[in-house]
Amino acid sequence: MALLEINNLTKRFGGLVANDSVSAEVNEGEIVGLIGPNGAGKTTLFNCISGFYRPDGGSVVFEGKDITRFSADRICREGMARTFQIVKIFKDMTILENVMIGAFCRTASPERARQEALKTLEFVGLAEKRDIPGGSLTIAEKKRLELARVLATQPKLLMLDEAMAGLNPMETHEAVELLREINAQGITLIVVEHVMEAIMTISDRIVVLDYGRKIAEDVPQNIAVNEEVIKAYLGERYYARNK
Amino acid sequence: MTREKQLLALKVLGGVVLAIALLAFPLVFKKPFPQRMMILIFMYALLGEAWNILGGYAGQVSLGHAVFFGIGAYTSTTLLMKLGLTPWLGMVAGIFIAVVVSIIVGYPCFRLAGHYFAIATIALGEIVAIVFLNWKFVGGAIGLFLPLLDESLLNFQFHSSKAPYYYIILAMLVVTVFITYKVERSRLGFYFRAIKNDPDAARSLGIDLTRYKLIAMIISAALTAMAGTFYAQYVLFIDPHAVLPLMLSIQMCLIPVLGGTGTIAGPIIGSCILIPMAEYTRVYLAGKVSGLHLFLYGLLIIVFAVFQPAGLMGLIQRYRRRG
Amino acid sequence: MQAEMLIQTLVSGLLMGFLFSLIAVGLNLIFGVMDIVNFAHGDYLMLSMYTAFWLYTLWGVDPLFSLPVCAVLLFVIGWVTYQLIIKRVLKAPMLAQIFSTFGLMIFLRNAALLAWSSDYRAIKETLISGRIGISGVFIPIPQLVASVGAIITFGLIYWFMQRTEMGMALMATAEDAEAASLMGINSDRMYALSWGLGAACVGVAGALLSTFYYIFPEVGYLFGLLAYIIVALGGFGSITGAFIAGIIVGVVEVLFGFLVAPAFKYVFVYLIYLIVVIARPQGLLGAR
Repeated sequence: MALLEINNLTKRFGGLVANDSVSAEVNEGEIVGLIGPNGAGKTTLFNCISGFYRPDGGSVVFEGKDITRFSADRICREGMARTFQIVKIFKDMTILENVMIGAFCRTASPERARQEALKTLEFVGLAEKRDIPGGSLTIAEKKRLELARVLATQPKLLMLDEAMAGLNPMETHEAVELLREINAQGITLIVVEHVMEAIMTISDRIVVLDYGRKIAEDVPQNIAVNEEVIKAYLGERYYARNK
Repeated sequence: MTREKQLLALKVLGGVVLAIALLAFPLVFKKPFPQRMMILIFMYALLGEAWNILGGYAGQVSLGHAVFFGIGAYTSTTLLMKLGLTPWLGMVAGIFIAVVVSIIVGYPCFRLAGHYFAIATIALGEIVAIVFLNWKFVGGAIGLFLPLLDESLLNFQFHSSKAPYYYIILAMLVVTVFITYKVERSRLGFYFRAIKNDPDAARSLGIDLTRYKLIAMIISAALTAMAGTFYAQYVLFIDPHAVLPLMLSIQMCLIPVLGGTGTIAGPIIGSCILIPMAEYTRVYLAGKVSGLHLFLYGLLIIVFAVFQPAGLMGLIQRYRRRG
Repeated sequence: MQAEMLIQTLVSGLLMGFLFSLIAVGLNLIFGVMDIVNFAHGDYLMLSMYTAFWLYTLWGVDPLFSLPVCAVLLFVIGWVTYQLIIKRVLKAPMLAQIFSTFGLMIFLRNAALLAWSSDYRAIKETLISGRIGISGVFIPIPQLVASVGAIITFGLIYWFMQRTEMGMALMATAEDAEAASLMGINSDRMYALSWGLGAACVGVAGALLSTFYYIFPEVGYLFGLLAYIIVALGGFGSITGAFIAGIIVGVVEVLFGFLVAPAFKYVFVYLIYLIVVIARPQGLLGAR
């Protein structure tokens, strides 16, 4: 049984169909990449399966449980967590307190939350900065903080929305390594990305969206030479010219 | 002794001195005016702390909190007058009703965003005020005069001196501060601050927004209602103008805003500044220039909102960080 | 007999409603552009009414002629308010913004109290005193003129926002101040303009209101409160919404006052607000 099943998920905004009957499966332990041109519906899909949007059709099944109508906070407690495209740090709290919020998902004790948070901060390499207010970090550090925070909720499945956006090549490389380590701990990952190199190297499988529909699903090597994918990104004429 | 231990010893010493001073106050200052001043300061500090839990920590700005104060006052008073029930039990009843009302009211309103929520609280406050103004059972616009009973703790009435009232409200304030302190350090406190900072991020981390906003609301309403009963027993007269007006709701948030929302010391500082100012202007300028103290209020609010939105605590924290 | 009374009531509610609308439109102009609720709005109204009163009492100027004076004066007051106070709290947390205009409200109200005492004043005879009768329904001329004035002003504002360059610049700033400034629109000037215009609306309303309503320091309280309710009901940011909601409130107020009890008429206004906003959190015409 797959860890996560997305069945014919549809989401409309007025007349626009942002997600059109999208189906996919994610198995335990995998890293699945989700790519597609801008406006393809990747973030909408994320929001639908994480409880921030209510889908207009289809269903989402996590560990055999139908979570389509679950609220966002309940989905996190079920073990499926996500990050945001634009990092949402708690500015008025220290880094440690930020991560503690995540840890509190699994324990009510402040002491235990603090310990868990410290452990997670060490894992992502931010432990020395723990008392700095969340607002005063670089982009790369903020992304790592968000990662630590969401890891503290002990998710079984983690969804990352453009975790590499705004990072320079070295930071991107570090981020990829970090994701590998997270996966090695048994956490399944779904990664939305525009940084092609990163997502191609890290993913076991890649799902491609275009205009709200899934147009391809395969291992990275095959995706790179997939007709439909190339057409979606570079246009019909380019494809035809270079065939 | 290490530097840390020195600091701690100093803090403990300071605390003990403060405690002794507070306890000895009514014994040293025997005139009614200073005692009355302190009672008001304590009461408003309590109201500020109560509002702070919902507004300062959880970030839900309520401009109708007087409702709970009025519910507390009217419930215990009505039970006293109709059933002869001791105000202490009446207080419990008042707290209970206030909590129930806060849930009924909070649940649909918490989905409203900032401005809409604030105005909804004003609307609710006004509805309750108008209803009570026209409700004969609770005295309508005339209000209720509490029956004069023998002086006793059980009756919650004291006539020969204000000192017992002083100690009672001080105890209530201590309880309130203690509850705030506990909340601040617990998961509740953290979750409140997360909700205030970024509700969507909070949701993504497993926080049920409505549930925790309600918890903040309940604690806040309960403490406010408690103060309402105290007020009724202290003044021995209540009417909608005294316990339910919009101005009172505003004062309840002005005090923590002035002193610094989201901190324990904030409402206390705010009360220590605002209340004496109001009392002095009222007493020394009453009759001739009604409204002068409000005039100064207004000025003070503007000045603080513009130049120091973090309140006095913000000033102190900034000073501490530099030093 | 009842039916006649009902129609009479509805008519007077409708007329008042137009005036409410004008006040609310002014408030919404400010909010739509800057996301700040002006709690002193009702007291701007009070200032305008006192201006009309003193011009009438001291120099015999009819309120209709004071109208442009009030409008201009309030424009200036709004503009100054922005420069001195609002400009500094633009980046501050919402609570600070709320309290800055709230403090202004208390300040203005009590300044009026100190300066002019709490006595109720009224303008006795104006050019438009009296009433006309239409098939058994009596319409007081001042209220009628006020409604017409409100509608005209709303039309002017609407035309200004939709058809003139400056109006569109204002709307652009309302939608996205950063993008607008990238296009060369000075947001600072737009903000000041919105405050001035919003206050000017109230200036007009005040002059009109002074022809038939009592003038006293607290008069801003109820009108201000109703204005926020109306703006929220219509949806923050929607001028048309505010206009419609104003009429609704005017009618609801008198209707329920007539059908149930005058003492509770505002309760129904507040209830309507709560019901609408809980069912539809963005108000009637507000943006999601």
